[in-house]
Amino acid sequence: MVEAVKRALNRISVEQIKLELLGTAYNSSSTFLGRLDPRMLLIWYLFFAVTPWFVYNRTILLGMFVFMVVTTVLSRVSPYIVFILCLGLVSQIGWMFLLSLFFGGGAESLLPMLTLTLKLSVISLASITVFSSLDPERLSDGLSALGVPDAFAFSLSYGYRILPTLLEEFHQILLSFRLRGQRPLKHGFLYMRTAAYYLRILVLVFYPLMLNTAKRSRTTVEALETRGYTYAVNNPQVKKLRLSYLVMQRRDWLFAAFSAVYVGLLFPLGTVFPNLIY
Amino acid sequence: MDKVALELKNVSFTYPGAEVPVLQEVSFSLKKGDFVAVIGSNGSGKSTLCKCFNGLIPHYYTGDFEGEVMLLGESAEGKSVSELSRHIGYVYQDFENQLVRPTVMDDVCFTPLNYGLLDYRERGMRALELTGLHGMGREFIWQLSGGQKHLLALAGALAMDPDILVIDEPVAQLDPQHARQIYDILRRLNEQHGKTVVVIEHHAEFIAEYCRTVVLMDAGRLRWQKPVREALSSVDELLSLSIYPPDVTRAAWLLQPDRQTAAVYPLSSEEGQRCFTRRLSLSDIQETLAQPQIKDLHSTPSEVKPVVEMEHIRLSYRTIHKTLHPVLNGISLELFSGERVALIGNNGAGKSSLMKLIAGITAPTGGTVKVKGITVNGLPPERLAGIASYVFQNPEDMFIDDSVRGEIAYYLKARGLKDKDERVEAMLEAFRLQELAGRDARLLSGGQQRRVSLAIGAAVRPVVMLLDEPTANLDISTKQEMTRVLQALRGHVETVVIATHDMALVAEWASRIIVMSEGRILADGNKEEIFSDGQLLRRAGLAETQLMEMSRLLELPQICCSLEEFVARSEWRKEELVHGGSR
Amino acid sequence: MSTLKTRYTLTQSQKMMIFVLSMSLYGLSNMFTELIPSVQLGPVELSVEYFAFIPLTLCMLFHPLYAAVGAAVGEVIFGELMLGQFGGLGELEKFITFSLAMYIAGRMVSDPKNRRQVGIAAISGVAIHQFCSSVIDIVKVWVGVEELEAVKGLAESIVIIEGVGFLNDVLFSGILFALLPTMYLVPRLYGKIEPLLGMKPRERNMQYASGGGNRLSPKLLGGGIVLALVALGAELLSESGWSIGEFELPGAESHEASLIWVSMLAAALIAALAIVFTLRRASRRRQEAGQLDG
Repeated sequence: MVEAVKRALNRISVEQIKLELLGTAYNSSSTFLGRLDPRMLLIWYLFFAVTPWFVYNRTILLGMFVFMVVTTVLSRVSPYIVFILCLGLVSQIGWMFLLSLFFGGGAESLLPMLTLTLKLSVISLASITVFSSLDPERLSDGLSALGVPDAFAFSLSYGYRILPTLLEEFHQILLSFRLRGQRPLKHGFLYMRTAAYYLRILVLVFYPLMLNTAKRSRTTVEALETRGYTYAVNNPQVKKLRLSYLVMQRRDWLFAAFSAVYVGLLFPLGTVFPNLIY
Repeated sequence: MDKVALELKNVSFTYPGAEVPVLQEVSFSLKKGDFVAVIGSNGSGKSTLCKCFNGLIPHYYTGDFEGEVMLLGESAEGKSVSELSRHIGYVYQDFENQLVRPTVMDDVCFTPLNYGLLDYRERGMRALELTGLHGMGREFIWQLSGGQKHLLALAGALAMDPDILVIDEPVAQLDPQHARQIYDILRRLNEQHGKTVVVIEHHAEFIAEYCRTVVLMDAGRLRWQKPVREALSSVDELLSLSIYPPDVTRAAWLLQPDRQTAAVYPLSSEEGQRCFTRRLSLSDIQETLAQPQIKDLHSTPSEVKPVVEMEHIRLSYRTIHKTLHPVLNGISLELFSGERVALIGNNGAGKSSLMKLIAGITAPTGGTVKVKGITVNGLPPERLAGIASYVFQNPEDMFIDDSVRGEIAYYLKARGLKDKDERVEAMLEAFRLQELAGRDARLLSGGQQRRVSLAIGAAVRPVVMLLDEPTANLDISTKQEMTRVLQALRGHVETVVIATHDMALVAEWASRIIVMSEGRILADGNKEEIFSDGQLLRRAGLAETQLMEMSRLLELPQICCSLEEFVARSEWRKEELVHGGSR
Repeated sequence: MSTLKTRYTLTQSQKMMIFVLSMSLYGLSNMFTELIPSVQLGPVELSVEYFAFIPLTLCMLFHPLYAAVGAAVGEVIFGELMLGQFGGLGELEKFITFSLAMYIAGRMVSDPKNRRQVGIAAISGVAIHQFCSSVIDIVKVWVGVEELEAVKGLAESIVIIEGVGFLNDVLFSGILFALLPTMYLVPRLYGKIEPLLGMKPRERNMQYASGGGNRLSPKLLGGGIVLALVALGAELLSESGWSIGEFELPGAESHEASLIWVSMLAAALIAALAIVFTLRRASRRRQEAGQLDG
């Protein structure tokens, strides 16, 4: 297993991670869901993030799950993200199951746990769908329209702006450490030495990065001042103007209506066939 | 023309905690529609002066402020930065940090939107139009090149349609072609749209060509404000403050028999052409120009084994759209011991990529790179250090320790080398860093930072040293110092490669020049071969230095690379007088 | 900074700088920790949970409130939203417990040069956060699994898993990625990073401007309790929903669907209100704190 980790580490270069991250963060607005009204999508998400907790009918949950899978496919989420998600779910539930076997449970404890998995999947897929579909501006405007504080909305879009710069700088400093450093000559027990070397560098990189970012933040905040940010914060009119482009269109209503009808049909179905799957 | 846009009356300012005021009783008036250059050596208060315009001083930087600022006839007192910024657009030297939104369109609309202007989209569009960025609205900022980012920062300021534009070092990070582009835009804004433009600028050639008035700052005081020709003709005074007027002007100053008179000198090559003539009596030059002839190593490759061998190198990057973007298209190259190689070409020509390949930092998509017979692609960075060392364009990316001494010693310590203390001392001495040894490199000035980054690279004692834009962001006097510092590398390193678009540096330093464009090598040769072909430089997106241009215009037998050389080869045409007055 | 008070005062923009700094740095680190593979030794997962040293360091060097909230926002934005892993409402409790823990750790340090104090504060910060999140995780499974008691051994196993997780996070992540780096960084950065932001370093033994001579001032305690209540409230809310569900499941078939609908709508509404309310409150609290400082 350690071998596998090592091989994976060798193959994953910072450059690739960077690309993957950027791809995930920025390649979104072209999808169907990305064009929908962010406020509607956020409310839609809120529904699918909350209701599964209160539903124990497996048929309904499965129906929701199918719907979520469809929307996930529609939003063209990076397979890597889905993989990470599945891994997380499986390992969490898996260990719980094994341990409960140890404490005297049986195969029957798998069933409630499967339900839990189903719930968690619906919730996670809903959030993946929505948050990877919305591009940063629309997301921050959507949140802002729903009453989230402006500072958060601004930070969000600033985050999208600054991420590539930060990654680039991180990469450069990491490279400096490696170019001038010395990797342990022996890997040590279970590759401990090598792992320790890399983790140590990873931590150390943040020392220069903190100082450089501090310099950067100073100019940024100063520039914000000259660009009227403070003025905007103190004028509610500005927010209204900024959000005035958000209008519910036909496709938004259609999507909302379809979701409502679908979920509305699920419930009677679930009541009639509560044990459709198991 | 004579209306005053902005006026400073007896302004003094002291940063909190500082002993000495950064501005001392500065009085200054900015005429509407003027194009002003603020010059002065480092720390003379140029940026501080400009930060008074929009109220950053004293509102943002709190400190002891005295005097009065009048904007468009009204006192700025009691007005906030936000209010004043409606009339003044400010573009920072580190302009990247002033772009705060993810996409171009959002960023350019940010300011007018913040002020609640209903037509913010139109304003944004218009600003993009003015800066030539139209059609890029949906691009993410990180996808832009450095030059485009600068244009965007300018567009962001323009979107407010300000009366005054302040630009701190507009061309510091740009190649000559992009630099000219930005100045052309500024000129258009000034002439056609009536904007008052203030630039903080080191490059006298740009000042000569584009500005009308020059303000000289010295130790917090405003020494004078003069029309450009008069200003740049004060060669004595400027040189004493380490400010370098254009080469033509300096040449004229050197050649002018009668320096005492308050003469005005030529500022551009065309004017120079009228003032200078080829020196006919060449006998006396022979000794002054007795330069050691550098042996042309690459003409005799069979004798020496190359230090760097590259064969049919290709390199492409994967973009986030999962497409491949070719950077280098089949490059074959051999570098030899003792060469001083300059890689020139405009931004995006592939210079840095080529150097990163030699340093082993990136692996080629096709072909192999060998340094001293060792194949470097695929080696982990830790193994590369002794072979090639790469000095980043931004020195701060190389600073990983908390003192200059620590930075230089880091590599030596990691290897546990026995002679590390001596080596560190030697490096500190070679790069004149002894007094700075205990300081944090991040807090040093630009030129000092460069020296530290070179010392870090040289301490490794690599076979090849690769420098990315070693003179970017430096003022001219520091640049000249860099040329001397580069000489210090000799003896520590076999081969030095520099990627740059600073032609003056190339002319003075390089023994071999490789011209790159769009991932290919356009030409490879010595100075004479490269510089005599004016077309070649233009095709590569580069500009000749004034001296080169003058040498060509005067039909000198050889392209001159240094001022001394030029002065020796040409003389003052007595009958010709420069037409005085500002342009 | 206009007048030289002995208290630690900040201008609005300096607060913004601290916020932005903390957000970008911790956000970035969070992206990496999300990607570092974990080593599993049986049920015990040796993972790099988070680079807590970043917010801890910043909280100790600067005003802890802005650094803590900035870091929490950074985590949500970089580590969750940008990677498309935003857990939605579940992040709310993380947000609150994390910023609370970091804030308390920051307040525990009065002298950034004192390594022992820094170390104790760092490990306490992690422990507080991990303890809160373990408790919440247990409650979550309680809510999510129907008839938890009926499944033999499940309750125990959850407690065990969470307990082991807690110990792992405190002893492995906590020591390696909070205690040691913080003790290394804080004294080194002290007096060095502040001028880069254009502010004066915290003086030793200097008090924050939020009044009170005591380090654990009534305000801090009050704020902590309020935040804890909000966090608990968010969980209790789900629990009450759960009991409604229980009550309705055996109800009349014909009304069941509509009843669930109504309850779900109500739950969604309450949840939405709760979020808005908490965030508003957080921002108001921030503003209030700002006024107190300024």
